[in-house]
Amino acid sequence: MQRILAIAGLTWKAALRFKLFLVIAVLLILAVVGLPLIIKDDGTAQGFTQIILTYTLGAITTLLGLSTLWLACGTLARDIEECQIQIVATKPIARWQIWLGKWLGIMSLNTVLLAISGTCVFGLLQWRAAKLPAEVQQILHEQILVSRGSAKEASSNADIESETERILQNRLKSAAVEKVDVFEVRKQIHEQVKADFQLVPPSYQRVWKIDLGNAKDFLAGKPLQLRVKFNSAQKSASGTFLAMWQVGEPQKTKLWRSEPMSLAPDTFHEFEIPPDLFDATGVLTISFENPNRTALLFPLDEGMEVLYPEGGFGLNFARGLGIIFCWMAALAALGLMAASFLSFPVASFFALGMLLVVFSSGTLAESVDSGSVAAGNEETGQVGHSVMDVVLIPAFKGVLTVISLVKSYSPIESLSSGRSISWSELAAAFAQVVLLVGGCFGVTGIIFFSRRELATVQGTQ
Amino acid sequence: MSAAESTPQSNGEVVVSVRGLTKVFKDFWNRPKARAVDGVDFEVRKGEIFGLLGPNGSGKSTTIKLLLGLLNPTKGHIEVFGHSPRHVPTKSRIGYLPEESYLYRYLNSRETLDFFGNLFHLDKADRDRRAEQLLEMVGLGQTQTRAVGEFSKGMQRRIGLAQALINDPDLVILDEPTAGLDPIGCREVKDLIVALARRGKTVILSSHLLSDVEDVCDRVVIYYGGKIQANGTLKELLAKPDSLRITTPVLPRETLEKVLAIIRHDISTSDVRVDNPTQNLESYFLEVVNKARAANVTSGAQSGARVAEYLRGGAEVQSSGEKVLEKLSLPLAAKPTPVKPAADAALAIADGGKLAALAQPAAPVAQLEQPAPKPESSRPVDLSKADEKLSALLGGKK
Repeated sequence: MQRILAIAGLTWKAALRFKLFLVIAVLLILAVVGLPLIIKDDGTAQGFTQIILTYTLGAITTLLGLSTLWLACGTLARDIEECQIQIVATKPIARWQIWLGKWLGIMSLNTVLLAISGTCVFGLLQWRAAKLPAEVQQILHEQILVSRGSAKEASSNADIESETERILQNRLKSAAVEKVDVFEVRKQIHEQVKADFQLVPPSYQRVWKIDLGNAKDFLAGKPLQLRVKFNSAQKSASGTFLAMWQVGEPQKTKLWRSEPMSLAPDTFHEFEIPPDLFDATGVLTISFENPNRTALLFPLDEGMEVLYPEGGFGLNFARGLGIIFCWMAALAALGLMAASFLSFPVASFFALGMLLVVFSSGTLAESVDSGSVAAGNEETGQVGHSVMDVVLIPAFKGVLTVISLVKSYSPIESLSSGRSISWSELAAAFAQVVLLVGGCFGVTGIIFFSRRELATVQGTQ
Repeated sequence: MSAAESTPQSNGEVVVSVRGLTKVFKDFWNRPKARAVDGVDFEVRKGEIFGLLGPNGSGKSTTIKLLLGLLNPTKGHIEVFGHSPRHVPTKSRIGYLPEESYLYRYLNSRETLDFFGNLFHLDKADRDRRAEQLLEMVGLGQTQTRAVGEFSKGMQRRIGLAQALINDPDLVILDEPTAGLDPIGCREVKDLIVALARRGKTVILSSHLLSDVEDVCDRVVIYYGGKIQANGTLKELLAKPDSLRITTPVLPRETLEKVLAIIRHDISTSDVRVDNPTQNLESYFLEVVNKARAANVTSGAQSGARVAEYLRGGAEVQSSGEKVLEKLSLPLAAKPTPVKPAADAALAIADGGKLAALAQPAAPVAQLEQPAPKPESSRPVDLSKADEKLSALLGGKK
């Protein structure tokens, strides 16, 4: 361990002597303090706080992410290019220990930088909140500066799949379909069935049954919040649509009916509902009636969500930073892996390229969905085909699986909407992002580094 | 007396064994680019000072990097202390000074030694003690807090040497150890190498400076084009068994003539040479600098103190200069003077005037220069140039 720590300490000394630490720390603090001065918000305290959280945490993640990647590529690749590694590797330290020491050095640096910038964001939020009127502060502490649990309707995917299959079989029995088109027909039926599950036609009702699970035990007497979002195919003259809500089940629980609400489409709305509306098993029944002349569509994944108070903001915020830390750990491993077999500029380019692939995962997902990398014909709806599909589509699926391991966590979104990030979520992020993804990068990097001839380059000092 | 004779610890234990070692550097497409080392075999035994000698690019440094596991051999077998060069625990017995001082520029000399001490798992007290002694030894005791990046090449070299010795290694591998060092530093390094060998340490030394190797090495291999062209002890390689050299204090002219008459009786006059043995330039330079040092203070590297205590063990250091004198005074005198005098006054025996000059007792070497010396055509030593170099080294003093 003494050897690993010596290597880690070296990263610290380099970061301090080359003023890298100072520059990154100043940039982070400037981003945290400066961004709230220039960003525009919707005028409400909640909106402003949400935007501060989103932008500052986003800026911290981006800045730290890039510096981590750059530092990880530099610390190892430059040691090899400038030949210092030729002395280090002749000492009784295994190559994996050198690699791990470098990673630990970067991560300890990240820990301090993340702690400094996180403390600044937290302090800034508390300071701004303290200056607001009491009632606004209360709303802020109920909706954003809080840790709220979330419950959604059970997934309807199985129902949608079985319904799709049933309709497809009926269609195939009634009319012959070209074998190559079955995939496309199934896809269209699937979209149709999914739309039926989401759509609420005029004068129709949509009922959600949401199981609060074990949370019911501590929610007695506490008001809950509904977070809803809907889309509309047509625009209304006022830009909003009427909404009528009923929560609770007649004869089983208490009932609450809302006044008619005027809500804008395509955005989230949150409103409070009285306590104790769920039944003895913890199921909350919510009905929506569509009094408009146009159909409204509640997306399955984010159309309806019940939020309930779970804990304080401080710890939740720390857990959110914990997930960002996990991302940095994976990025550091990626950079070091690249530097294990590439020179500094090429390693940086490679690592940034990999990051770009993560950000463009939407395009990959589209290709996987359509089953081809070739462009389809938009007029006829014909799907394109390419000889590369055999190789690329499975490869894209693999890449997407890895990316989803990392991207399935969204601490910034959770924090800015006051939703709790549980310990189990943090543990899962650590397992998936650090141990699995970072571990794969680490093992690959260590194998490359251990096999590499370290004295093939002449010094560039 | 060679260094081997002065290091009785040398015994049969093989420390490094190299058999059929070949290294071919390849390009991106795996096509052979250069055959740096080609079928090399040698063994280094415990307590030996082993020299790798050869011109630039002959494969010396590549061999060293293969010994250290920094390069993988294309063919052949290497064992260091009976293990592969990649065996990690074995590395705790090795000290390595690369051909350039590849140090972390942002660390100061103290931190550099502390860092490498940590890699050897030394505890803090031990690291501090050794760093202190090593810095004193390499003459950088006064510049402990300056970043290594600010050091001159020679000072960096000294720190490089110190880091190579922080673990009190059993095998010291020095690649061009005197490169970039001033003559004082060179002498100190050579003294150190001898001191290490006396403690039973094994030293592998690579150099293209013949005097370095000749002064300290027991055995050498001479590389050219990646292959070993010659291999053996210095005695084997350098001795001229068909000639003899007798060194005495200055003799009266009559005695000298008697001796010469006896010799003339057996061999022809043209085969006999009488001259004043001269000290080499290094010794002369050190003498001048030592006198100058009494009055001057330098901001650069100072002349190192004695070899670090923990490296000295019980052995007292005998300077390589003394060793040279030892070699000269050997009764056998079966081989040529290791370091040739700068002003080799080769005289024809028939020249009576010059004989008279030689018979003068306390004639200093520099004064002999006028009447007598004519540099041998095979030895391109030019005193005026040497004088210029000396002036430059001494800050322009003539």
